Amino acid sequence: MRTPLRTVAVVAVATVALLGAGAVFGLRSPAPASQPSAAPATAPDRLAATIARAQNRLRELPRDHETWAALGLAYIEQARVTADPSLYPKAEGALKRSLSVRPDENATALVGLGALANARHEFAAARGFATDALRANPYDADAYGVLADAQTQLGDAAAATTAIQRMLDLRPGLAGYARASYDLEQRGEVASAMELMRRALDAAADPADIAFCRNQLGDLAWSTGDLAAASSEYAAGVAASPSYLALLRGRARVAAAWGDLAAAVTDAGTVASRTPTPDTLMEYAALLRLAGRTDEATRQLTLADAAHRLFVANGGQDDLTGALLALARGDAAAAVPLAAAEWKRRPFAEVADVLGWSLHALGHDAQALPHLRRAVSASPRNASYAYHLAMTLLSLGDHDGALASLRQVRALNPYFSPADGPTAARALSALEARP
Amino acid sequence: MTRKPRAILAALAVTGIALATLGPQSSVASSHREAPLIASDPAADNTDLYAFVSPDRPDYVTLIANWIPFEEPNGGPNFYPFATDAAYNINVDSDGDAKADAVFRWTFKNIDKRGGSTFLYNNGPVDSLDDPNLLFKQTYTLESSFNGGPFKTRISNAPVAPSRIGNASMPNYEKLRDQATVQLQGGWKLFAGQADDPFFLDLRVFDLLYGGDLSETGQDTLAGYNVNTIALQVPFKDVALRGDAKRNPVIGVWTTTDRAKVRVTGQSTNGIRGERVQVSRLGNPLVNEVVVPANLKDAFNSISPDKDAGIPAVVKRVTDPELPKLIEGIYGVPAPATPRNDLVEIFLTGITTKANGPIKADLNSQLNNKDVNAKRFRPSEMLRLNLGVPVADQPNRLGVLGGDLQGFPNGRRLTDDAVDIAVQAVEGAAQTGQIVDALAAGDKVDANDNQFGDTFPYVALPNTAAVNGGAGGGQALVPRGAETDSPAPSLSPASAAASSDDMGIGSVIAVAAIGGLALALILATWWFRRRRTTPSPDDTVRI
Repeated sequence: MRTPLRTVAVVAVATVALLGAGAVFGLRSPAPASQPSAAPATAPDRLAATIARAQNRLRELPRDHETWAALGLAYIEQARVTADPSLYPKAEGALKRSLSVRPDENATALVGLGALANARHEFAAARGFATDALRANPYDADAYGVLADAQTQLGDAAAATTAIQRMLDLRPGLAGYARASYDLEQRGEVASAMELMRRALDAAADPADIAFCRNQLGDLAWSTGDLAAASSEYAAGVAASPSYLALLRGRARVAAAWGDLAAAVTDAGTVASRTPTPDTLMEYAALLRLAGRTDEATRQLTLADAAHRLFVANGGQDDLTGALLALARGDAAAAVPLAAAEWKRRPFAEVADVLGWSLHALGHDAQALPHLRRAVSASPRNASYAYHLAMTLLSLGDHDGALASLRQVRALNPYFSPADGPTAARALSALEARP
Repeated sequence: MTRKPRAILAALAVTGIALATLGPQSSVASSHREAPLIASDPAADNTDLYAFVSPDRPDYVTLIANWIPFEEPNGGPNFYPFATDAAYNINVDSDGDAKADAVFRWTFKNIDKRGGSTFLYNNGPVDSLDDPNLLFKQTYTLESSFNGGPFKTRISNAPVAPSRIGNASMPNYEKLRDQATVQLQGGWKLFAGQADDPFFLDLRVFDLLYGGDLSETGQDTLAGYNVNTIALQVPFKDVALRGDAKRNPVIGVWTTTDRAKVRVTGQSTNGIRGERVQVSRLGNPLVNEVVVPANLKDAFNSISPDKDAGIPAVVKRVTDPELPKLIEGIYGVPAPATPRNDLVEIFLTGITTKANGPIKADLNSQLNNKDVNAKRFRPSEMLRLNLGVPVADQPNRLGVLGGDLQGFPNGRRLTDDAVDIAVQAVEGAAQTGQIVDALAAGDKVDANDNQFGDTFPYVALPNTAAVNGGAGGGQALVPRGAETDSPAPSLSPASAAASSDDMGIGSVIAVAAIGGLALALILATWWFRRRRTTPSPDDTVRI
């Protein structure tokens, strides 16, 4: 248990470090203009309109618990779209206000608290809120959405699927299609995942929702190595909503795969400067390193570390990111316990992969193997997981197994990583050249 | 794990840095897919339904249904297509079993010539629906099914009137709309496209239930906004039971939006032929949007009217409604005694003497149709219209309340002032026989901001001026979108849980009845009081 004083100190130091570094490295300098938008003006932002209306209404009717809950949910959606977590406390305030005005039969507020918990990676809590909400309103499709998100991350894929189906049965639409698509993607059924995401796109009304669907379609195309399709999806997404930054991450990945490292660095830099989260900073760092700008890469990692420490000091818990940061620093010994702790809370494919890869980096290949196999079997069309398994098998001397996994990588997506892709290709050539 | 938002706020105060400056790094965790949860779905959002005998064609009934509220007519790239993945339905029940005897189903498709290079709706003035400058347009197919029979296509590739982008883009919008008004063989008239939102009200009227202050009425919350309208005019014989509107003049109408049922596996019953999921439903005004308690709203949108009478959770909401209690609490108007069998009769069955209910009048229940099998009658929430009431020479905006039997709640005309009728209901006059003076003026919005037409489709042309544009637009609008997302909380029965009610008529219930019930009660009672000539001994409505 941290004392408040100590928390203050840690946060203050981390804040100063982060902002200081940002000042030095120009992190907060204006982002480079993104590709000129084809749209002469932006389409209406219904989320912003919802928030404005709710605020106006609550000014006049401060005991309107429905609108408080709707406002809280809208803040969470806004945070998702803009990656701006300063909206989370606002959301929490609105949702708690709603519950305090109406403690019983307030499913919407419970759904909001569940969505907020999911956003903060408190998946077990989210599951509880969703269950409570469904007790109050068994017809609440959104509650099933929260439940599905939580169950997915808690590793109960079957329960997640059931919740998503219920959501679809109650209210087919973008939110349900997107979850069903993710569910299928997790299971490696990329074609069906794409079909559902196209359906979601058909149902999308807001620019941000269109951008979300385009981004997912781009990521799905990219996961199959179809760079051209990925590129055109990202471009269509940027045209719909230039401010949807995840599209730029995708575009950077495609650019890197095409060998246009400069464009990749530019896009990743834009994303990292506007939403300096540990993962965007780490991605930026990886591209800088590839471009030979190792000092800058190191600085970005320092920033990523500061961002993560700030998050932890704030009571957040995300050991997966901690493990990834440790791996990026080359500190496998630190990564393993973090990944193991996350695995305990969240037996999800990605966590298994990071745990296995950390163990491999530490040289514990035999221990790594079951985790990596679990990741691959839970998510059989993820090239990165297959690559990690291949390299571990290789270092265990299982050349046939490694060969099979590397061929899988090539079949799935040879561009899966600008840094690891070439390594995979070399290893594959070497194995195939064996007598 | 506990969060400490205060800790970080304190820390930020210490370092003198605003939270906003810190931005995203403070708590966005990575690595799990966050998909939209409350994605807006305006195309599925039924807003209003009207049903009336056509003033210029007295043997035809006009049904007008609206979707996609709060369309801002501020030009530019904003336009509002119908959903292509949904089906829009107008349902008619003529025999009172709460199942549709006639279903009219619209499905839309896009004709999109924009390519990837522009999001513009048009690239020059649009003079006709075929103008090549119109880069995005829609067409629709209308199918109909009668008496449970298979759907038959009545027209396909019919034109949709485009969103009205502005006078520069569409110098003669009326011409475009005329081109989108279609007449079929058999006399059917059709229209689909954008229109001025015909509903007029000051939504803040419902605020009185919070604060008891009606000082700020008189502002049409929906003025200047557009909606997407589907209008249909058909001869009586196509919707009346056995085709005989003389013997069977009463119909019940409601609209629904549905989508194809989808499996997580990605397989779905594609197209409109397969299994469907109803995502929205609307009958009487204000019921779905404002009255249904939050926890029942989703259920109401999901179920068909024949299931209304079988949802036990809402029994007490109907027989022991909260609205009169709220009024009592705020205005001191005593709430009528419960259980409210009168409400159940009036609202769910239509006004009739044939249900052994307290109101001895016959207006608009299918039970009054001569060929109805009363044993199959099922109470349900729908907008009921007696086609036999002739078109009024001088329509009264208060409808039946104003002595004009052709108006709401006998169907609903565009000019009917649904909210003022509700305000009169709020006044509690039915139970006390006395108007609450403080509320007598209603919402002070007595007519639509735009004039309605004399001929089909009657709705006004879409607005062109931005609703919230201009520097002086600082009005605190409380538009209906907020209401749609979140029904007024004070209308939900906070105290219902504590009440122990008589479940004796539990079989006769419906979702969504409370406010509507109260208003319909007052309405019908008022009307009844005005019309009745001889008192009835078993009349339980105290007047």
